[in-house]
Amino acid sequence: MKIKNLLIYSIISSFFLLSLISIWKILVTLQGLKLENFNTQIIFILGFLFSFLNIFIRERLNFIVKFLFFAFIFVYVDGFLISKLPIWYNIGIVFILYFFASKTKKYNYKFLKNEHSTQLILFDFLTLFGIVLFSFVILFPFYMMLVTSFKTQIALLINPLDFSIDFNQNIKDLFKSYFVIFTSYNFGKYILTSSIVSLGTVFITLIFAIPAAYAIARLNFFGKTFMSTSILIIYMFPAIVLVIPLYTVFSQLGLRNSISGLLIVYTATTLPVAIYMLQGYFKSIPKELEEAAILDKLSWFGIIIKIILPLSIPAISSVALYVFMIAWNEFLFSLMFLDNPNSFTLSRAIQYLSGDAETPRQYLMAGSVIVTLPVLFIFVYFEKYLVSGLTAGSVKG
Amino acid sequence: MANIKFSNVGKSFGDNKVINNFNFLGKDDEFLVLVGPSGCGKSTLLRMIAGLEQIDEGEIQINNEVINEMHPSKRHTAMVFQSYALYPHMNVYDNMSFGLKIEKKTKEEIHTKVLSAAKTLKIEDLLERRPKELSGGQRQRVAIGRAITRNPKIFLFDEPLSNLDAALRAEMRVEISRLHQKIKTNMIYVTHDQVEAMTLADRIVILNNGNIEQVGTPNEIYTNPDNIFVAQFIGTPKMNIFKINSENIISNNRINILGNSISFSGINLDKKNYYLGIRPEHLTFNGNQEFNFTPKIELIENLGNEKIVYIVSENNQLCAKISSDIQINNTLGFNLKNVLLFDENGLRIR
Repeated sequence: MKIKNLLIYSIISSFFLLSLISIWKILVTLQGLKLENFNTQIIFILGFLFSFLNIFIRERLNFIVKFLFFAFIFVYVDGFLISKLPIWYNIGIVFILYFFASKTKKYNYKFLKNEHSTQLILFDFLTLFGIVLFSFVILFPFYMMLVTSFKTQIALLINPLDFSIDFNQNIKDLFKSYFVIFTSYNFGKYILTSSIVSLGTVFITLIFAIPAAYAIARLNFFGKTFMSTSILIIYMFPAIVLVIPLYTVFSQLGLRNSISGLLIVYTATTLPVAIYMLQGYFKSIPKELEEAAILDKLSWFGIIIKIILPLSIPAISSVALYVFMIAWNEFLFSLMFLDNPNSFTLSRAIQYLSGDAETPRQYLMAGSVIVTLPVLFIFVYFEKYLVSGLTAGSVKG
Repeated sequence: MANIKFSNVGKSFGDNKVINNFNFLGKDDEFLVLVGPSGCGKSTLLRMIAGLEQIDEGEIQINNEVINEMHPSKRHTAMVFQSYALYPHMNVYDNMSFGLKIEKKTKEEIHTKVLSAAKTLKIEDLLERRPKELSGGQRQRVAIGRAITRNPKIFLFDEPLSNLDAALRAEMRVEISRLHQKIKTNMIYVTHDQVEAMTLADRIVILNNGNIEQVGTPNEIYTNPDNIFVAQFIGTPKMNIFKINSENIISNNRINILGNSISFSGINLDKKNYYLGIRPEHLTFNGNQEFNFTPKIELIENLGNEKIVYIVSENNQLCAKISSDIQINNTLGFNLKNVLLFDENGLRIR
């Protein structure tokens, strides 16, 4: 075994453990626990010792036994001996230790013998660091949003920096903001409007984009190259440049404050990217398939419906998802074109509420949670389609 | 039963003339193989018959009916593509029945047609599978099966075996031959592989740069090539060609080559340059040939059943193909009947 590998492994892994526990401690402080100090040195030394000992005990002791032993000593030293902290804090620590122990499971005597094992360890832990830190940075605002939405007006005024959730109040009080925004602030209507606008945009965009993308991918017509290259030119104009002329036009046409007006603008802005993504995918579908279909007596329309569409479901669903997210989150155009609360979309409604000094902050945050959740769920669920759809066009698959 | 007739057919892509004044008359039920180097226009010709390419000049007739303007699906042809072109989202049964369903045939008719095609190709137990669950050979069978269900007058094969490995290719070649014997329909088969051409064809059309070099049975093409291109294209290793100039010509019917003087009867050598060809398999080491010479052996490739001997002689690179049980010695010989003479433009002098 290489001493260098062993040392590097122990140091990196104890840093990792330290960062995990520090994040936990930050979260705990936000929950209202008073920590005198972070015990950085002790955690580091313990982490180092355990990673070090792990290598030597590895084959002789069962993983669970070893982990329990490790966790017991750690909790005893860190939790009880030094800081005297509540049980739930220590349970969190035990979970973190379990995660840590299972991540370091594969590093054993044999593994450290490899020349390049330092690099492997470094990359493994860098990935873990990245994941942990990023998720912390990204999830923290969500956490704040969620916590604020569960608070009462008084609690917010007493201590605005308290990020704990008071689980002792009853369910009705806890979700009070959510009830209020639906009853007094009409959020049900906004959700309906947003859904109609977003789904409508997806539908209309796909209806136009599929034939257009097919034409650009397969047919020869005058101005084809010009058209396919200039599709994305609309993205060179900042939306704010388009807003003002559109505002005057829409005012004269009476399209302001109407869903159909928004549908027109959203379709126009999402269509180029939709066409661009789809035509890339259509080009990757072998031409012979269509030729075989022609010999099977299929018309052009039939080819699109029966051959192209079933084969491009991943691309189409990723385009649909993308368009839905843009339309759902869109703010600038809805801000400009909508000024009657009856036709507000969700994002416009949130802005309207936040502009009003009378609106309590927790309602605003509850509204934001409502806006975020659908997109979040859709994204998490369809993520696999999205990724495969986005790359599918580039590689023949 | 169908006969196909090409009259003055031409095709160009932009300025590039791919097929030039193509004239040909097919026979009923024959297995026709179009063969040539890549870029010779053979696939384009096939796609023109299928209707996937516009016919720029001239006309193609099937059973005396001009098909130039006819929709691809009405030409009674069925095509088997190199990449199989099976619909990935349908199972084998749906792939084979797709065309029939679009023609709105009854369910029973579709079922009997698909089953009989599947039986012919021995793919009955694959009918429920998707194309991605099939091996290359099975996919090829399904592609052929799909063509059979269309009940075409002419089958068109566009290099159908080139995506398969060598063993499978040999197996499928036999299958296709058997299929032709069984269903007795016109087949037009495009390939660049001369073995496929020689083994499958009733007649071979050798193409080069969009022109027909020679049409004939495999045997005619091999034994009696019209020009150097055909002579070299068919046969592996390719035919040895010697350039003959005024130094080699002794008199108006005698040529001096490889230390031998060869006399031809009924030929008047009045031009400056000629070419002389001998196939590698006609050079032998047994010493009792009409003409013999001492070879300078450069390299011997042993293929197990035969050896390929590379020889340098009088600035010519030669090669001989001999059976591996023959002893290699100092006398290599050939007979006059195996010597082919070509004029300076590469045309055969008979």
